[in-house]
Amino acid sequence: MPNISRPLSNAASPEERQPLAHLAAIDGGLAFAALLLAAVGLATVHSASSELAVDYLPRQAIWVGIGLVLLLAAMSIDYRVLLDLSLTLYIFSLILLGLVLVLGDVRGGARSWFVVGPWQFQPSELAKLATTLFVARFLSEIDQPVLTLRQIATVVGIVAAPMLLIVVEPDMGGAAMFVPLLAGMLLIAGVKLRYLLIAAVVATSVGFGLWTFGMQEYQRERVITFLQPERDPLGSGYHIHQSKIAVGSGQLVGKGYMQGTQSQLRFLPARHTDFILAVLAEEWGFLGVATVLGLFALYIRSGARIAMRARDRSGILVVVGLLSVFCFHVLYNSAMVIGFLPITGIPLPFLSYGGTFMLYNFTATGIILGVDLRRYVNR
Amino acid sequence: MKIVRELRQDLIGRIWLLNALVTGLLVAITCAYWFAQIVEGEHYRELAENNRLRKLPIKAPRGLIFDRNGQLLVENIPSYNLLVDRSRSDDLQAAIRFVARILGRPVPELAAILERVRSTPDFKPVLLAEHLTLEQVAAVSVRGREFPEFEVEVQNLRLYRHGPQTAHVLGYLGEVTQGEVDRSDGSYAVGDLVGKRGIEQVFDKILRGRDGERVVVVDSRGKLLDEYGRTPVAAGRPLRLTLDLDLQQEAIRQFEGADAVGSVVALDPRNGEILALVSAPSYDPNLFARRLGQEEWNALISAPHDPMRDRAIQNTYSPGSVFKIMMAAAGLAEGIVNENDSVWCDGSASIYGHRFRCWSKGGHGRVNLHDALEHSCDVYFYHLGQRLGIERIARYSRMFGLGSKTGIELHGENAGLVPDSAWSLAARKHPWFLGETISVAIGQGPVLTSPLQIAAVTALIANGGRPIRPHLIQGEEVEAPAADRPALPPRALEAVREGMDAVVNDPGGTARTARLPNVRVAGKTGTVQVIGQAARTNPNALPFRFRDHGWFTSFAPVDHPEIVVVAFVEHGGSGSKAAAPIAKAVLAKYFSTAKQRR
Repeated sequence: MPNISRPLSNAASPEERQPLAHLAAIDGGLAFAALLLAAVGLATVHSASSELAVDYLPRQAIWVGIGLVLLLAAMSIDYRVLLDLSLTLYIFSLILLGLVLVLGDVRGGARSWFVVGPWQFQPSELAKLATTLFVARFLSEIDQPVLTLRQIATVVGIVAAPMLLIVVEPDMGGAAMFVPLLAGMLLIAGVKLRYLLIAAVVATSVGFGLWTFGMQEYQRERVITFLQPERDPLGSGYHIHQSKIAVGSGQLVGKGYMQGTQSQLRFLPARHTDFILAVLAEEWGFLGVATVLGLFALYIRSGARIAMRARDRSGILVVVGLLSVFCFHVLYNSAMVIGFLPITGIPLPFLSYGGTFMLYNFTATGIILGVDLRRYVNR
Repeated sequence: MKIVRELRQDLIGRIWLLNALVTGLLVAITCAYWFAQIVEGEHYRELAENNRLRKLPIKAPRGLIFDRNGQLLVENIPSYNLLVDRSRSDDLQAAIRFVARILGRPVPELAAILERVRSTPDFKPVLLAEHLTLEQVAAVSVRGREFPEFEVEVQNLRLYRHGPQTAHVLGYLGEVTQGEVDRSDGSYAVGDLVGKRGIEQVFDKILRGRDGERVVVVDSRGKLLDEYGRTPVAAGRPLRLTLDLDLQQEAIRQFEGADAVGSVVALDPRNGEILALVSAPSYDPNLFARRLGQEEWNALISAPHDPMRDRAIQNTYSPGSVFKIMMAAAGLAEGIVNENDSVWCDGSASIYGHRFRCWSKGGHGRVNLHDALEHSCDVYFYHLGQRLGIERIARYSRMFGLGSKTGIELHGENAGLVPDSAWSLAARKHPWFLGETISVAIGQGPVLTSPLQIAAVTALIANGGRPIRPHLIQGEEVEAPAADRPALPPRALEAVREGMDAVVNDPGGTARTARLPNVRVAGKTGTVQVIGQAARTNPNALPFRFRDHGWFTSFAPVDHPEIVVVAFVEHGGSGSKAAAPIAKAVLAKYFSTAKQRR
């Protein structure tokens, strides 16, 4: 077992501790993509909520403002300090997840929110961050090319604890986010191809077997409903159909800002949250979608480059973990909106309305930029 | 070091691979969007343009509210709104001229409405007129083929049949606030009407039911062709109140004629069912059913005597001599006095070096407890208060339910104030003055009670010591646990009841005016001198403010009480002249008509 009690932050010699001295070296692509996406999000949230009698734009703007502060804070702290704190953060987030089951408020069928006056907070986002840091801390001490089974099992255990607490809420979308986190970090840290194949075969056959032979039709129906609690009560894929009409009818250049009939006439479900991309596609057309997906690609590519040039293994793993979750959000949401994947509450980073998720994304971006700022090794 | 570098190369290679995979997927998804928007775009554009599915909300009818005898207090009436969808119009000018004639409104006025919304997309329906008559609805509908841009929307309005008479009990509806939506976990949506006050607010969940939704197929002109699916509505449940409408109306009538300010509480001392709960002046909750203009709202909230306030539960006042029924019970229960102990009243008493005056300048002569209640002799209670002391007075007051909320369902109840030395130190930062105990003994000084609390105190005396929780919904009786029951000897309460009997029925009683021909009524008057207090707090107060408050609390029949009536008149004069006649009218009504109905 690797020893994770030795602090990482002491390893940095005094002359290396110039956190913001290399500010000019900040990765322009990543920061640019994040800020532009947030701006597009603000405009689209305004349009999407114009029929809701409450404009979500001012609130979203406040979240973006707080997010920027968190970004700067996360960037200024040495990521190795964060990694040293990761166990504490991890345990703290587990306690919060436990507490929310008792004291939390129910929203959309899941007891996953702390509500204090006008403020709402979803501890699962914090848990995502803390788990990424803790897994990175654990894996950073391993100096073999591939992980042993025991190490893999430990990482699975670390990830499973918060995940199970979130399943109990039950917030399936929130829990699903831990899968890409786990998969991304394990893959990068090194897993024997044999294990990968075995895992894939076992997962597929267990799932398939259960689905085909182990379940009655009504149970399958229940599983689907369970996985998609917000499924249209009218059945018949009404929402996904409306979303596809919204996207398709946008054509090349869209119907114009605030002019989307699908969203303004309330055909679209969850317009300002999970289906924000459909609103954008309808009003800005394929050009708008391509621009936004391009910005996501820029963010991901910049992030990957930062991971590749990070100064040490822990830095690489932190960035990979954060980036895996980001990629999953982007891929799942954009595929869901045109009907390739079942509807689940997985929002689009920087665009969807939602406070805690916005803060999570800005903080993650800050950590990634912080890793990049400290990439220089004094040789 | 070499090994570490090799490891690093492995990691970087895998990151590169994963990045390539994600980028590939993103490109594939982009292609899917390209296919949907460019290749099939025209098809979807058509689908969107005459999107033939419409979601129509089906509003659940709100539960009706009845009084105890099944008389309807609130009902739902349909209201018709005229909407125009400009995108469906061939000739908007002609359409405007057409409806202007039907509505009897000038064309420029309607055109101005459309002018204001010119920047909003055409396909969003615009509200042209509210509250159409059935004739107007019919006139628009028959020409529906010709003018497809018009839609008539049906909306349920709440009609409070008795308007101001039940306003404070029932409350009214208003548009839900964002905070309420956030806290409701999906049961409220923006634009919903929810209860804002009274029963409408407290029982909103029960009354509102659950809205449903229809998805219908329409043709390109918006005509309904078929139903695609629906989620059913669950109608709101009706509520039956303990209120007796006849009694309620009789009570408020007493104030209407005289333009008086005050409140009445009538309840059943056997179970706490509230029969009448009146606060005057009142307001018309039907004003809120329509959109209330800023001016109307301002007029309402700045009207004299704050008609929105429920004086029966939200206001607290000095109880005045009504407090003496509690004092008498406390004195007997503690054994400080017995019924035969007497005091000589020569019009004043010197206690703690200060001269306290009786309301009767000439004095009452020799009085025992019975006489003291009958004549409301202050001097007797000054001495009793001195011997009880403020701590015991406070303990008994709380035992009777003063200083805490009675637990009525309505929001905003005021708990009042039972002062003692701990309160004085905490709230006023100075010790209790002994002289204040003497004032409190006759219900003056810092002690504060609401009319509803006085009704609860009277009920406890009338029913032989059983605390009741006043309530408005039938079947809500909650027995207080035995341990919480006040330890009051039955004889002490009986003595107080006899004293209250004498107040009304003996020749020297202070409330002879409250006698009824065929039912024996018992009661207690109270007159609160306002001038002293008002002069202290606000020397510039209006003359109205200097007039006395009048209290009268009563129960009947004396032998087996079935109704308690409390009347309170703000700045209306003495309890016997201003308040007692009001309570008498309510009692008379109860024993003539209302009672026969049960």
